[in-house]
Amino acid sequence: MMDLDFAFLDKYWLTFLKGAWHTLELSFFGVLLGTVLGVVFALMRISRLWPLKFAASVYIEIIRGTPMLVQVFIIHYGLTSFGINLTAFMSGVIALTINSAAYMAEVFRAGIEAIDKGQMEAARSLGMTRGMALRHIVLPQAFRNMLPAIGNEFIIIIKDSSLISVVGISELMYTARTVQGSTYLPMEPLLAAAALYFVMTFTLSRLMLWLEGRLRHS
Amino acid sequence: MIKVLSLCKSYGKNEILKGITTTVSKGEVVVVIGPSGSGKSTFLRCLNRLEEPTKGQILLENVAITDKGANLDLLRQRMGMVFQHFHLFPHMNVMDNITLAPVKLKKYKKDEAQSIAMELLRAVGLEDKHDQFPSQLSGGQKQRIAIARALAMKPDVMLFDEPTSSLDPEMVGEVLDVMKKLAQDGMTMVIVTHEMGFAREVGDKLLFMDGGHIVEEGAPKTVFQNPAHPRTQDFLSKVL
Repeated sequence: MMDLDFAFLDKYWLTFLKGAWHTLELSFFGVLLGTVLGVVFALMRISRLWPLKFAASVYIEIIRGTPMLVQVFIIHYGLTSFGINLTAFMSGVIALTINSAAYMAEVFRAGIEAIDKGQMEAARSLGMTRGMALRHIVLPQAFRNMLPAIGNEFIIIIKDSSLISVVGISELMYTARTVQGSTYLPMEPLLAAAALYFVMTFTLSRLMLWLEGRLRHS
Repeated sequence: MIKVLSLCKSYGKNEILKGITTTVSKGEVVVVIGPSGSGKSTFLRCLNRLEEPTKGQILLENVAITDKGANLDLLRQRMGMVFQHFHLFPHMNVMDNITLAPVKLKKYKKDEAQSIAMELLRAVGLEDKHDQFPSQLSGGQKQRIAIARALAMKPDVMLFDEPTSSLDPEMVGEVLDVMKKLAQDGMTMVIVTHEMGFAREVGDKLLFMDGGHIVEEGAPKTVFQNPAHPRTQDFLSKVL
């Protein structure tokens, strides 16, 4: 019979909230920078200049093809052998960003390629440059279709930020481990952390649904 | 206005256009007919280089469109195009569909572009639709908006790629009427179409294409009444 005791929360609730806050901070930068870079890599991938296309493909394959945990260690500890000492927070943001950029790039590329070729042709036939056509015609439509996939990616970033705990940032997962250690409770702190992750991701997924609904009506 | 010289287009080994030579004069309405797969749409799409010609030359008022250094975007501003499937921008209302290019490319002021757009909407009989979205319009209405959108750039030539082929029969007339009015106003037009009655009535010159060639070329009435080439005779006997 399992007896769960959440009395430790009286003492540690603020620690958990702080942890959740750090998770949100990490995720926020990961999402923001990852989205911006993702657009850049997606545009490179659909570019007609093969060096750009090639560079973006290589980047995406390497980042997708290696575990983020390994990347985090490389960024935070590995790079010190080149004299690059990053704060734990910086390392965390970089690791999240390069990952979300790679995945986001594929989401954007698929979204752009899913738009009827006729849209690009109609825009070009009016005399718009390819860049203008992408910006005013293709991307706004692609973005609407991509919202579910983007939301998915945001949620993954929040969850993956737990991996950053290995470099010692007091985000949610790290907090849970610390509280585990000081309370000798194996389960409860993890459940508390899981609950907070869920609150964050669930809120986000509702938010994305709401946004989708709004965009559909306009 | 437009000169086409031995225009060829192939996809890999598949030759679609095998040397097209023709001219379009100012104010002339050229209708292009022919069986599907004859290359007529490809020909039209080569004119503004939506398709890249493999060989040959196209001149728009003595400027070679086919030159590597040609300013395509500027040339395309002078050649409006209307597509079979309209290709209105679904995320914008009718007004924005029409004014986007003039505002961004011709640097019109927004209200200036809008008054031009309203004028065009009146001309195509859809001024009450200016704030609607494409999804709220019928096919015929969409195509008339697409024509207005192309006209808003004040082009010298209008290219029509089977503009009525994806319309319900009862909507074909309203689009053809707009095109007829445009022709009467002196617009230079190249029209790929299956509407033989329209081709005969409105066309100044008719091109019959088959197998990547212009098989026969002449005044529509003459060609329809006395097709010279056996393939034209065969085609017309099937469609008329």
